[in-house]
Amino acid sequence: MSQPLTQILASAAFALAAALLAYRQRLGLSRSLLLASLRAAVQLAVVGALIALVFRVPGLAIAFVAVMVATASLTAGSRIRALPGARRIAVAAIALPALAAVGVLLAVGAFAATPRATIPTAGILIGGAMLSTTLTGRRLVEGLADGIDEIEARLSLGDRARDALAPLCRRAISGALVPLIDQTRSAGLVTLPGTFVGLVLGGASPATAARVQLTVLLTLLLVQLLSALLTAELVTRAATLPGERVLAMSR
Amino acid sequence: MPGDARADHIEGLAVRGLRLARGERTVLHNVSFDAPKGAVTALVGPSGIGKSTLLRCLNRLLVPDAGTVLLDGADTAALEPCLLRQRAGLVGQTPTMLPGSVRENLAYGLDPAAAAEEPRLTRALAAAGLDPTFLDRPASELSGGERARVALARALTRDPELLLLDEPTAALDAAVSRHIGVTLQALAHDGLGVVVATHDLPFAAGIANQVVALSDGTATVGSPAELLGGAAPSPAHDAPEISPEARA
Repeated sequence: MSQPLTQILASAAFALAAALLAYRQRLGLSRSLLLASLRAAVQLAVVGALIALVFRVPGLAIAFVAVMVATASLTAGSRIRALPGARRIAVAAIALPALAAVGVLLAVGAFAATPRATIPTAGILIGGAMLSTTLTGRRLVEGLADGIDEIEARLSLGDRARDALAPLCRRAISGALVPLIDQTRSAGLVTLPGTFVGLVLGGASPATAARVQLTVLLTLLLVQLLSALLTAELVTRAATLPGERVLAMSR
Repeated sequence: MPGDARADHIEGLAVRGLRLARGERTVLHNVSFDAPKGAVTALVGPSGIGKSTLLRCLNRLLVPDAGTVLLDGADTAALEPCLLRQRAGLVGQTPTMLPGSVRENLAYGLDPAAAAEEPRLTRALAAAGLDPTFLDRPASELSGGERARVALARALTRDPELLLLDEPTAALDAAVSRHIGVTLQALAHDGLGVVVATHDLPFAAGIANQVVALSDGTATVGSPAELLGGAAPSPAHDAPEISPEARA
């Protein structure tokens, strides 16, 4: 049996095993697991075909990155849709830090300014920004519902709305960055991150793979922090009502 | 009298024609009453009738759809919101403690000089029925009743002109409730305006100078005898005497 066919069959078998296990445990996740697997398979097949085209036509790279930003923004925006202007918040919090970082990396020559280098790098940074935006935004929305008593206590003591929201924002940002900090701390010891694995499987030397991975990981630290800060700032503006009041979310 | 232009210049709160809807439901409909300084005004009515909503309109945590709230004759809509909330201190139904010690809670938001005034903090604690040993206790370790009293003390450290209290006795036993009642009367005697939202009618009857009864979104104003005639007042005279320090 050829290696590509074996890879497809092995991955399908693992997805089916996960769905079966979830069914046996009555977790109600079997359908979601199968649909997510199917969706990933279709998306990756389409992306594989598209990227081959994009690599040949550099002008398409910009459109491809725009689609990445739009998709990430839709996903993160749906997680904080209870807020007014959720989608605009997500677009800004994802696109600004991620694209600025890609620009800097290309400008200083850290990566070649080719679609082959730019698209994967942009994808990782946009994905990190999306994660940070989602985690920060969800914690803020939950805090505006469950923590409204504390916020109103601070307002009643004479705080401005921005000051009353600041502790919630700090907690949301800290919480959102914990996964990335843990991932960065354990890189190489507990996990081999995706960039490293991909480069090694693609034939790069481990030293090269490690260098590129480090660049991506450390760039992600700043991108995700900036995304979290931007999300907190934009949510603070969206949740602040005239007269130093705060928009309370329904519980 | 509500609606009388001269009466709008009372020292304290004058509520005129307040209306507030939540979705399809009109919570407050043309509510008018005075809550003068130097008196305890009890807002009474069953749970869910809009007492908390009305209190939050008084310090503009909520903005009414119509009507005005005057403080010493000035429209509160025109006042700087943060200053208004310092002048009219609201203690919410859920006594929320901020992170840190009781001292940090009491000093929250005060300027450094005021925060360093130990007597200011101990005086507020005493008024709320707590001794100075509470100052350095972690606020997160307090019981529900202690939290309620620290929240009251925290509002008092700001030297408010008005005190707005939402169900202040909900987490307290009878003895502490009586102490709080006596404290509120003493504060009113010293010139503070006190507005208490409560469904504890004996407590209201025991401390109030006037009663505002909410029903179907409207307010009826009267004396405790008129509106709470059937509620036996809490025996405030059984409560421990408030110390001169607490009254200071």
